[in-house]
Amino acid sequence: MAMAEVNLEIDGQALRVPAGTTVLKAAERLGIVIPRFCFHPAFEPEGSCRMCLVEIEGLPKLDLACSTVAREGMKVRTATPRVLQARRDVLEFLLADHPLDCPICDKAGECFLQEYYGAHGRYPSAFLEVKEKRAKKVPLGKALLLDRERCVLCSRCVRFLRKVTKTGELGIFERGVRSEVGLDDGVEVGNNYSGNLVDICPVGAITDKDFRFKTRAWFLRNGRTVCPRCGRGCAIVVQSVCGYPLPGDLRKVYRIVPAENPAVNGYWICDRGRYAVRDIEEGREERIMVKAGGEAAAMPLTWDGAMKALAADIRGAAAAGRPPRLGVVLTSLLTNEELETARQVFVESLGVTAVHFADPAPGEADGLLLTSDRAPNRRGAEALGFAPRPPDLAALTGAVDVLLVFGPHLLERVPLEEAARAFAGIRRTWLFSARRSPLDGLADVVLPTVLSEEKAGSFTNVDGLRQRFEPALRRPQGCRPEGRILADLAAALGVKAD
Amino acid sequence: MTVPAATLLPLDAISFRLPSYISRGGYDAARRTLLSKKPGEVMEEVKRANLRGRGGAGFPAGSKWAFVPPEDGRPRYLCVNADEGEPGTFKDRAVMTRDPHLLLEGILIASYAVGVHTAFIYIRAEYEAVARRLETAVEEARAAGFLGLNVFGSGFDLDVLVHRGAGSYICGEETALLESIEGKKGWPRLRPPFPAAVGLFRAPTVINNVETIANVPLVFRDGAEAFASRGLPRDGGTRLFGVSGAVRKPGLYELPVGTPLRRIIDEWAGGPAEGQTIKAVCPGGLSAPFLTPDELDVAMDYESLARAGSMLGSAGIIDIGDRTPMIEVLRIVTRFYAHESCGQCTPCRIGTTWISKVVDRMAAGGGVGGDPALIRRLAEGMKGRTLCPMGDAAAFPVLSILAKFEKELLETVSK
Amino acid sequence: MSFVLSSEAKARIDGLVRRYPEKPAALLPVLHVIQREQGRISPEAVEWVAAALGVPALRVREVLSFYSLLRREPAGRYVIQVCRNISCSLAGADDVLARLEARLGVKAGGTTPDGKFTLLAVECLGNCDHAPCLMVNDDDHGPVTPGLVDRLLEELP
Repeated sequence: MAMAEVNLEIDGQALRVPAGTTVLKAAERLGIVIPRFCFHPAFEPEGSCRMCLVEIEGLPKLDLACSTVAREGMKVRTATPRVLQARRDVLEFLLADHPLDCPICDKAGECFLQEYYGAHGRYPSAFLEVKEKRAKKVPLGKALLLDRERCVLCSRCVRFLRKVTKTGELGIFERGVRSEVGLDDGVEVGNNYSGNLVDICPVGAITDKDFRFKTRAWFLRNGRTVCPRCGRGCAIVVQSVCGYPLPGDLRKVYRIVPAENPAVNGYWICDRGRYAVRDIEEGREERIMVKAGGEAAAMPLTWDGAMKALAADIRGAAAAGRPPRLGVVLTSLLTNEELETARQVFVESLGVTAVHFADPAPGEADGLLLTSDRAPNRRGAEALGFAPRPPDLAALTGAVDVLLVFGPHLLERVPLEEAARAFAGIRRTWLFSARRSPLDGLADVVLPTVLSEEKAGSFTNVDGLRQRFEPALRRPQGCRPEGRILADLAAALGVKAD
Repeated sequence: MTVPAATLLPLDAISFRLPSYISRGGYDAARRTLLSKKPGEVMEEVKRANLRGRGGAGFPAGSKWAFVPPEDGRPRYLCVNADEGEPGTFKDRAVMTRDPHLLLEGILIASYAVGVHTAFIYIRAEYEAVARRLETAVEEARAAGFLGLNVFGSGFDLDVLVHRGAGSYICGEETALLESIEGKKGWPRLRPPFPAAVGLFRAPTVINNVETIANVPLVFRDGAEAFASRGLPRDGGTRLFGVSGAVRKPGLYELPVGTPLRRIIDEWAGGPAEGQTIKAVCPGGLSAPFLTPDELDVAMDYESLARAGSMLGSAGIIDIGDRTPMIEVLRIVTRFYAHESCGQCTPCRIGTTWISKVVDRMAAGGGVGGDPALIRRLAEGMKGRTLCPMGDAAAFPVLSILAKFEKELLETVSK
Repeated sequence: MSFVLSSEAKARIDGLVRRYPEKPAALLPVLHVIQREQGRISPEAVEWVAAALGVPALRVREVLSFYSLLRREPAGRYVIQVCRNISCSLAGADDVLARLEARLGVKAGGTTPDGKFTLLAVECLGNCDHAPCLMVNDDDHGPVTPGLVDRLLEELP
């Protein structure tokens, strides 16, 4: 059955929308964005901020765009003098009591109040009274701080915690002008989605200690990618600054925020993914390292030298037996494309049978977005025919001369002593990792790779959805994506790889 | 003094107890109605009686009941609004205090018409003594078989709960009232859906004022035509006019709908208080626009007052004497709405407070020439723009005072 | 501190809860029962009510902070509410309030040190034909004058 549709007109433009579409959403189809504070597409219309009032022909009063459902023949106007006056008045009300602290407010640059004042306000202040004094640094838990003077009581935060996480830590207390967002007694916002409150706050009322006073929104470069921290594959935007105001062309990541993706994460991401900012910046492998005193110590510490030595090792292992005396430990942190190259090189061309995986240890799923699987591409690996299981190191010892390990997670799956024992029995172990780990001390050679945020490729999430992404960040100097390493290796070995 | 129209609240001494009510023919109308009429017929009769809501909006009661959708398996509820928070209004208190069974009989008939088996009387907590009286009346009626299971042997069941508010004017707004009964803050709901479709506990709900429901037994006791004939062609019955402020005899006067305001003040309330003349009159509870002395010939009905730029509202008439500076009136009006704003929507939450602060400053001698214009602009910013009718209620009296007494206010500023 | 209610109050609450179609609707009535017995709604009472009615404690706290007649702090034995809205103000409510403040030695909003009186200036009490009016606990008084205030205070044990 065809879905019922209605015809309406917005600002003189005719359009047809599915029955039940609100005026606000219909207008967005025409590229007309009606200003709003309380409305958020994830929630039912609230109707309390009164910013989205529009004129509907035949109705005496202005009506809410967020909650009014389009009707056949409806004629809506979104920019008449009456509408503009109403917006201006709402802004004047909200700003009457609002502190003038934009210069030190983290939200500056992405604040609805600022944006709308520029578009619909621009009036001289008429407020001669004493502003209400309210608490400006209320800890809400985790990294969140609430500034009640900046709050416009849109209730988005309260509704998020009631409807999405269903944890209900925040309420609105008191009444009238004394109304305030506050925590329930004896609780704090401790759930795994707390950071979303900062994103959905349309003003600078809820800020993040992690981001507070660190930079300005307008310096940030946005790079969209897929979060690699569990199997969900949430769409994220990694926000970084490159160059000014940092010296030279230093890169610094400031924030990870959700990107809208109705098929996966809607509008949200979990705190585990969000606060991975430090993981991107800290603990990175920065240079090629070889074990002091070992056989590999003579190897030149350049990519060319390392790649030559690697190819030589593999040739040697291939020549030493059938199947080759080569072990490969891959990881589901690699992209589908990288895993495919690895499959072609190691399995198809070289006939390696000792192919294993070292994925991050599974954790607790939270019932919302975070999956127990903490690798982003396990489904992708399986689709390529891999069985992503940790290696039996004891069986490897003696069977291989050369071992290639991708990713830093092996020690999350096998005990250190066992790994140390096994590695000692293998002639040479190569570690390809973007992150430092205790594994570094066991490997003969460590080659610094890059994080998925710095790569192009695709992951296949727990639901089997394959999602492509481009580099969200410039990669650190001296580090190479595994995909390139594998492609170079294929070329050096003269084996086929697409 | 005889009030010929005192059909709702007899002036002679009556008792609030059940035997007194029965001796006056009480519950006969309900018995006849439940035993002989179909619910649809009851609604039709109320429509023919032209009974309009006594709470403020004046919506025809029969039509309001008819909005409830056909039986769909959900329960239906009747909520009687006894919140009576509108300053200058004390009529419902009188009805419930003097003749609680009249209200209960009205609830019985209305519930039968709408198919309600649980009715609530939402009464402000300040009326604790009245609430207890209502509870006593409910017990009496239940013991007599006028409430409870199988009322009058008709097969119809009805329970009535007296539900106390807890100090909030906004809970007199019908959707805030529903929230309050549900055990929440009195935050008005976004409409649609309207309560007739989705009301209390998500079920179809009718909300009527006490006086409206108290008139229902009269419609069936005297007949729809007789009831209608006491009022105006589109507005049947009598009204309880409460008069307070600078008059000699403040009180409650039951008169035909459409009685001229001046007659109510002069003939019934004894005229202006000793040594004063009337300077302004608020004709329908504090949220009605003020009238000036030259506007007092207006008839006290919805349409006439609307034409005069005001409203009948709760018919609580507040007389302001010439000794009272209008800035003082404005100060009380604006303080009240700032105090009672629920805080949910922007224009009311901030508008009421901002205006109140400006007026306080003016009253304290710190006014500036632009203040009246600023107040007007802020009030216009609330009018018609809020989530519930409170924005209008807060703006109307303020705008009328500014329009009609601007000169006096400007003198306040220049002094 | 534990929360203890009299058996009468508990019985009243049980009766109330049974009469409502949905349990949380008994919130205001239950809070009234508790406040009448204990003089206020303590944090312990909030938790108890929340559990009894199956609502989040946060919602009870929101409600408690919204309604002006629900008290989080104990009040005096006599709560005097003086109307100061329009009709009462026109009839001299300010003088009545001033006399009460002078006699009790507290400002509106305050409680006398002996815990006997709490004085409140409130909005309309719906008793405008008896302006200026006030309430002492559940009892209405009006019209009152400063002189009558003195008498009233003396008569309260």
